[in-house]
Amino acid sequence: MDQFLQHILNGTILGGTYALLGIGLTLIFGIMRVVNFSHGELYTFGAYIVYLFAMVLSANFFVSLVLAMVLGVVLGAAIEFVLLRPLRGASIDTTMLVMIGAWIALQNTEQLVWSGVAKSITHPFPAEPLILGPVSVSWVRVFVFAVAVLLIVGTHLLIHRTRLGKAMRATFQDRETAALMGVNIGAIHTATFALGSGLAAAAGALLGPVFVVYPTMGDLAALKSFAIVILGGLGNFMGATLGGFILGFVEEMGAGYISSGYRDAMGFLLIIIVLVFRPTGLFARKERVG
Amino acid sequence: MKHWFKQAALLIAAVIFGAASNSAHADETIKIGVTEPLTGAVAASGNYVVQGAKIAESFLNAKGGILGHKVELIIEDNKSNPKEAVASVEKLIVRDKVPVLMGAWSSTYTLAVMPKLIEYGVPMVVETSSSGKITTSGNPWIFRISPTSEMEAKSFGTKVAGFNIKKADFLVVNNDWGRGAASKFGAMLKSKGIAVGVIETMDAKAQDLSAQLAKIKASGGDTLFLTTGVEQITLVLKQAKEQRVTHRIITTGGSSSPDQLIAQAGAAADGTYHLLFFAPWFPEAAPNPAVAKKFVDEWNKRGYNFPGLTEGFRGHDGIMTIAAAIEAAGKAEPDAIRKALWGVKVDGVNGDIAFIKQGPAGKESGQNIPNVYIVTIQNGKVALP
Amino acid sequence: MNRWLTWAWVAFLLTLPLWMEDQYFLHILITSGIFTIAAMSLNLLLGYTGQLSLGHVAFFGIGAYTSALVSLGFDLELTDTYTFVFAPRPVWVAFVAGIVVAGMSGWLIGKISFKVRGAYFVIVTISFAEVVRLVALNWVDLTEGPMALNNIPPFTLAVPGVWELAFFHKLPNYYLVLAVAIVSYVTVRRLVHSRIGRAMIALRENEPLAASAGVDVTRYLVLAAIVSAAMAGAAGGLYTHYIRIVDPDVFLFIYTVTMVIMVITGGKGTLAGPIVGGLIFGILPEVLREFASPEVQWIIYGVFMIMIVFFLPNGIVPALSAWWNDRFGATPSAGGPGTGLPDLEAATRTAGEAT
Repeated sequence: MDQFLQHILNGTILGGTYALLGIGLTLIFGIMRVVNFSHGELYTFGAYIVYLFAMVLSANFFVSLVLAMVLGVVLGAAIEFVLLRPLRGASIDTTMLVMIGAWIALQNTEQLVWSGVAKSITHPFPAEPLILGPVSVSWVRVFVFAVAVLLIVGTHLLIHRTRLGKAMRATFQDRETAALMGVNIGAIHTATFALGSGLAAAAGALLGPVFVVYPTMGDLAALKSFAIVILGGLGNFMGATLGGFILGFVEEMGAGYISSGYRDAMGFLLIIIVLVFRPTGLFARKERVG
Repeated sequence: MKHWFKQAALLIAAVIFGAASNSAHADETIKIGVTEPLTGAVAASGNYVVQGAKIAESFLNAKGGILGHKVELIIEDNKSNPKEAVASVEKLIVRDKVPVLMGAWSSTYTLAVMPKLIEYGVPMVVETSSSGKITTSGNPWIFRISPTSEMEAKSFGTKVAGFNIKKADFLVVNNDWGRGAASKFGAMLKSKGIAVGVIETMDAKAQDLSAQLAKIKASGGDTLFLTTGVEQITLVLKQAKEQRVTHRIITTGGSSSPDQLIAQAGAAADGTYHLLFFAPWFPEAAPNPAVAKKFVDEWNKRGYNFPGLTEGFRGHDGIMTIAAAIEAAGKAEPDAIRKALWGVKVDGVNGDIAFIKQGPAGKESGQNIPNVYIVTIQNGKVALP
Repeated sequence: MNRWLTWAWVAFLLTLPLWMEDQYFLHILITSGIFTIAAMSLNLLLGYTGQLSLGHVAFFGIGAYTSALVSLGFDLELTDTYTFVFAPRPVWVAFVAGIVVAGMSGWLIGKISFKVRGAYFVIVTISFAEVVRLVALNWVDLTEGPMALNNIPPFTLAVPGVWELAFFHKLPNYYLVLAVAIVSYVTVRRLVHSRIGRAMIALRENEPLAASAGVDVTRYLVLAAIVSAAMAGAAGGLYTHYIRIVDPDVFLFIYTVTMVIMVITGGKGTLAGPIVGGLIFGILPEVLREFASPEVQWIIYGVFMIMIVFFLPNGIVPALSAWWNDRFGATPSAGGPGTGLPDLEAATRTAGEAT
């Protein structure tokens, strides 16, 4: 029973950051129709920025976190501007290939700059875990979870309560009509990609201090984000949020009670099962099958 | 079928002429081929081994090279991938014409290149790989200086009584190295009447190991054997503390780099034990203290990462073994080097290197019997237990 | 002209080992050839039906593992009392088994994946490849998991009792790969020029229209998937008996990326495209080895990929073919590479009749 409760707690904490990764990716897909293979690299980038400021330049930990998110937004905007803007209107396959190229180039640039040796980021939280009856969790993870939830709620508000969010939703629903109504589609695309990238960088910045930082850390994160996004339905914000938590639970339970070797297969098996029975994802409202 | 064949032909021509100009170089150095993972999943370790190899190269050249020739390492990246490992060895043997090789870090890459050694008749000194298959499959061109998981388990078995283990659990990386350690250490423990609880695996890239640890905590063992790279060991130590896993943790495989653990896992590293093949904090305790000290000093002088020493020494010992064989053979030719390897006695950083025969009669591989050290971390310092 | 060039090219490849003494280069050609066959098989899906499968390496790996296991033999403990023992079979039998099993998995995966399109299809195919990789990694009893299957026998040619040649060396492997490549090329060529091929192209151009004209969409897609998977399986079999080790890394995503970039660079939907792309991306990494550090090689690879998509979105073959036509005003022969858009209505009509 204790083990079960610990799995539930672990799954919830893990799900928070998975959701953060998932919504960044799903926003980019929903609004821009781009399958963003560089998502994992933004995650890695966020973690390295925290390392750079907090460890190399000895800046304040929390300031470093904010800087990582800001620079993630900037890098995202730059990628959109240089690589995706000239390709607007190109097929999904075309942009996907460009993003795969960007992924390979970015990952190896990181290795060139930082070398392959893993880096560790020290955080100001107590080393002793928070003990809740039979289960325990570290304070830094509690902090990460809280910030992740704040960012998810914040993004939700941004989309539903601001003019920018309204324009994004309009673009999502009908790009041509939105353009006719005076929405600057180019600006919306840049904003979306920057926002999604910022969220990925935030996830990396938050998890960097929990784990260790190395150039290929984004690969698994990217694959998991794909699983989450498919679970929730591509472009579905709430779906991605729930998908993140579902994946967290399924992985924990799968590893705990089935086999830890298949832990990372759980997400993909779930995708296949979902798509066999509900081809548009668990929470899809709109049909998007050819 | 248009004009494209011209493009292709041009490209091929470029490569062929590139090749021709390459092999036209005057050849005065003695070349040693090195294939290591320099990019990809296990790049960090591969780079450390290469740094150690380069130190050996400079030592050799400082005393005038071998047989009056300078030593030149030709280093190729095997990209953490068996197909690329084969390609790198093809290049080293065919294009660079190296008479002897060192590599290829992971057992998978080593196993992948082994047929090539037979095909071309070139010996290879294996510096890291731990799979038993490498020396038992009947490849007479293989000489391994690193221990197999079985040898490591056996060596630890002589000291296991002092640990007073009742029930042991395993957490290992899901590759040949981790699984090999789990099966060999498990068998050794069972032969001593110690119970084996759960055996959990983790993907080499996995960062969150909380699920595995929750299960290990519930198993009720007192000792956890942990086999993986240093990054993942750091993660396991930190997360074990978070989840109040009370097992005593013993890492195997010699890749644990305790300094990096102290720096990165902090207090979570206290009280852990590590099986190593070189203990750079105590070079004076090594079987060849002068060799070990000289190597550690040079490593520090070059500003290499101190924690990398526990991997880097493998590169040094491998190259020194090869150099001794070339010296004994009197010429840099593959078959002569192979024969000479059987007779070498090298004062390595790990200890005395010499080869015994393993595998089917008539085509035995060479296997060294390396030393295994146990160190512990106490109050943020590495100590001998 | 076309025909002449084809034969010249085949003659060039046939005689190449006679004057090419660099064994390392021959090795590069063999591995490039193997991946070119895989790229040709991917082209059938990506180029002719328009479906981007990013899990194609699954078929390559299934072919490799099946061929390895059949040639090595294996035993599986099914229950405590019954163990299924499979004796080693000759390599050629294993090779064919690999093709068949890969084709069957193409059928199965196709049946499931073709329920969805676009980005969903892409990610479902990635998921399949990952699941297959994790099965290969964790089903240790069968696959040896991460310990890898090694000592896989090479191909052999034998007149029983009289003469035997094991393909330990490069020359026979080179000709074998070349032969399989030619067979694959002819298969794809025949297929895309048949009614079935025209139906596939009609699907690519306009699926709803093709469906309304009576093309049984799923049936053609699954058919393409079977043929494509079987070819990829053949490439996997060649790989496994040449490299002689197979481990779960054979399912790495980067191999799929390599196949995709070969097809895109050469020109998807053209017969010659995967060959041009396969040679370029087979040889490029080896050229880069000579003068760039390992990380820089990968960065160049990634940037090159982006440049190709930006500046030659249709690939090299269509670009060259357009240039040739501009300059010499030759009209391409019907159905030749780079023909561009086929007569959609005619294609749809014939395909409708075919069903």
